[in-house]
Amino acid sequence: MYGENGAQMRTELAALLRQHRIMHRLASGSAERAAAGQQILRFRQTVLVWCAQAIGVARPLTFPNVPPKPADPFRAASDHGAAVAELARALEAARDQATTRAASSQEFTTPSTNSVVEHWRLAARAAALAEHDTAPDQSIHLTAAQARTIAGDVAAISQALVVLDRRYRNTPDWESIAGCDRIGWAALATALDVSLGQPDYSVDQTGWRPRTKAIGGPAKPGVLGVLQAVHNLLVRLESFPDAMNLRLVVDSQRLLSAGLVPYAERIDPHLARQWGARAETYSRIQRELRNIGGQLGNGSGAAGEAANAVGRLKALHPETVIEPRMLGGFHALFRRIDSRIIDILESGVERGAFVQRVTVPRLVSGDGRLVHRVRERFVPVVRAADLEVIRTAREQLRPPEQPPTSSTGRSRSDLHAALVHRPPAKEPRRDTPRL
Amino acid sequence: MLLPHAQTLAQARSYVAALADRALTLDASSAYERVLLELDRVHDDECPALDAEDLTDDRDILLAAASSAIEELQTHGIDPLSVELILAMIVDAHDLDIG
Repeated sequence: MYGENGAQMRTELAALLRQHRIMHRLASGSAERAAAGQQILRFRQTVLVWCAQAIGVARPLTFPNVPPKPADPFRAASDHGAAVAELARALEAARDQATTRAASSQEFTTPSTNSVVEHWRLAARAAALAEHDTAPDQSIHLTAAQARTIAGDVAAISQALVVLDRRYRNTPDWESIAGCDRIGWAALATALDVSLGQPDYSVDQTGWRPRTKAIGGPAKPGVLGVLQAVHNLLVRLESFPDAMNLRLVVDSQRLLSAGLVPYAERIDPHLARQWGARAETYSRIQRELRNIGGQLGNGSGAAGEAANAVGRLKALHPETVIEPRMLGGFHALFRRIDSRIIDILESGVERGAFVQRVTVPRLVSGDGRLVHRVRERFVPVVRAADLEVIRTAREQLRPPEQPPTSSTGRSRSDLHAALVHRPPAKEPRRDTPRL
Repeated sequence: MLLPHAQTLAQARSYVAALADRALTLDASSAYERVLLELDRVHDDECPALDAEDLTDDRDILLAAASSAIEELQTHGIDPLSVELILAMIVDAHDLDIG
């Protein structure tokens, strides 16, 4: 997730910005200092690579907040005010002109005893991981406000790199960032440009996430087994089920919700009422699905896990106490299953996988035909909203949208504070004679 | 599928659906739903629409009508063993319903 990796990078860079007298901290001998410096250069190159990639992803969606000049028909369109474009160019140039190669994955995973190198290592590791989060395939879902937030983050990290570059200049064999001043000014302009708009910090929730896997192995004892089956059901629902298996899954959901109500009532009556209402909704959906057919898809795995869940729930002892944490787990899984079932219904109707059954015509004898064939068995649905089941699902099953967390996060303010902080003034020694 | 077969199947589905709607417990309702799903599975899901709205509320009458319609499916070429299994399932569901 971008939030985690971005925060890690900012935290480590803020810690580095607060370290002064670097030579003293790096090592005692010149050769050791040079070796540590080379390692830091490799880690810095990794961070620089991420910066160039992330700003390249955010750039097409970022628009300058400077009002455009009146159009001049005799001049080509000017790029006035596009600080992001300037920063992107500067970062790309710095990345390409660097002679140091980026750190290898072995270096990322080998902790260092030196605290300075260790901070750089963690920052570089987070940058390498963040390349997943800002990869072009992940970023197609970004909004303009989210892209602006990424541009602001890159600007802050670039400023930190420039400040640190200045501070490390006396390290033996140090290679300064190419176009260091240009990056610094462009980052400053980008940060100002971004701060004029309203950034959207929900970008922290986007990015790469580990793939959810089914929990294999034998059934866990008791309630855990039910949870395991419900989780596996959610994973199996990723493949599109046919109409009959969907009906089996829907049937299992009403049985599960209704079956869990007595257990929830002892702990959380409000949750029990919600699950009671959910069972009612699924009963209604079950009724409305009887006249829906469709043989596309499979979903036998989902139907099997649904049966497992119901069977294990029925085997529970009625006196079993389900902990609030497990009830929360069921609630979270139910919400995601609801959301997935709506998606399946909507997309199935839209692409013609689910069709309506046709009422049988009246049998009229004596019309001269000996054989009466049923010519039509299904008709496609013209508009999804015409179907009762879709209306029910939209009105009652769609989980309420949770407001996205839009906090700036502590790491952002911490990095900004570290960028502008001044080293504490040295206290005069008592034995030093004053002038 | 010929029209008389489709009509018998539509009747059987409607009666079983009516039984599921009027069942007293959720478990019985689910058991009747399984009967309906089994009927659909035997026909490869190529079944006509059902209408359970205007049927009687008397579950005994519904059960008798459903069983008779399901038995009649044999005359339209459905495997007799499948029909017997569905009949057994409907009896089990009825047992659950009456408690």
